[in-house]
Amino acid sequence: MKFWSLVSLLLISTLPALAHHSFAMFDFNKVAKAHAVVQEFRWTNPHVVLLIKVESGEVPAGKTWSLELTSPGNLTRTGWSRKSFKAGDVIDVEFNPLRDGRQGGAFRKASIPATGVVLESNIRAQEKPGLE
Amino acid sequence: MRVLILGLAISFAASRAHADKPVAAAPKPKTVLNPAPRPKDWAALAKLPDWSGVWNPNISDQNAQVKSNPTPWKPEVVPQIQKLEAAEKSGNPKGLFVDCLPEAMPSWMLITHNALEILYTPGRVTILGESDGNRLRRIYTDGRAHPEDPDPTFHGHSIGRWEGETLVVDTVGILPQSYLAVSESVGVPNNGDLHIVERWHLAEADILVDEIEITAPHVLSKPWKTTRKYFRQRARKYDLMEGVCLQGYFSEKTDADGNAIFEPIPQTEGGNPVPPEK
Repeated sequence: MKFWSLVSLLLISTLPALAHHSFAMFDFNKVAKAHAVVQEFRWTNPHVVLLIKVESGEVPAGKTWSLELTSPGNLTRTGWSRKSFKAGDVIDVEFNPLRDGRQGGAFRKASIPATGVVLESNIRAQEKPGLE
Repeated sequence: MRVLILGLAISFAASRAHADKPVAAAPKPKTVLNPAPRPKDWAALAKLPDWSGVWNPNISDQNAQVKSNPTPWKPEVVPQIQKLEAAEKSGNPKGLFVDCLPEAMPSWMLITHNALEILYTPGRVTILGESDGNRLRRIYTDGRAHPEDPDPTFHGHSIGRWEGETLVVDTVGILPQSYLAVSESVGVPNNGDLHIVERWHLAEADILVDEIEITAPHVLSKPWKTTRKYFRQRARKYDLMEGVCLQGYFSEKTDADGNAIFEPIPQTEGGNPVPPEK
């Protein structure tokens, strides 16, 4: 298997859950990293949304980005809660940007250096019964 | 003379009968009651298989099923599907459900990414889902038949019967506008006369299987048999939460009077929040 086929296969297998709309508008072959400040965390169905203001990183500083996630119920399985982020939290975040270049993306992973907490959105690793 | 009197009498009786005809009330349809459950009806529930807990759909398996057991679309439907698949592939997916109308049957079962739970009460099995405003399916197991001409609904009219530890569910009366979908952006309206037969059973202690047979004569060339799997959680933190689809279209704000309010968030055609420009 060619290297890029393997990479895309790995990426596809870790897509976030698509609760109510498709996530095909995001480019899962690209990962952008940014140091950012949380502006708003919307813990609602069908998609959780994290609004961040980028301070530095692989996308231009000073811009607000809207990052989408799966549903609260699915994220709870990976240890999230509605208190996972709050406005003002400084985070290091990775996301798959929108293909059309606008300031949106699919959330992949974030760490909060102040607390050491790391949050990911891959719910496929939890496709098994009896989770604790 | 006797003949005349008899004739008049018959004629009078006939005219009376005729006059009475519009007055004669049609027999009142018998009211069908849902009887109050008896203690033995509640006790009987304890003999059913234990499907308590929260059931998460196996999404990886959903995707695998679509590829390994493709939908037998009618030839005239195939171009529509190919167009939607191409749109999805190019990154401009058509959002079939971004209006927040229910995914409906059978798409709820086919593509949901949200948990569900199953409740037994006498004469009925109820499936409660997390998304689409905590939608539900009422499956009557009290022996009733489908209504002759059911009111079309998103989830249809479902009757069920237990065959050992398998619940067999028959569903009709689904709105023709509701989608037969294999993803959030690939599917077509079922266009009517949809009939779904499901066989729900435990495959393992904590794996519930829904074997689905979909007959959709306007969009499928033959009945489509497919399977969906759910895995069980018992930890309380995984209990179903409220899922009001439209809530995602609002942001929580405070108005000038200090009231907590919902403020609409503009959405793209694909159902994403419009990305910020600043």
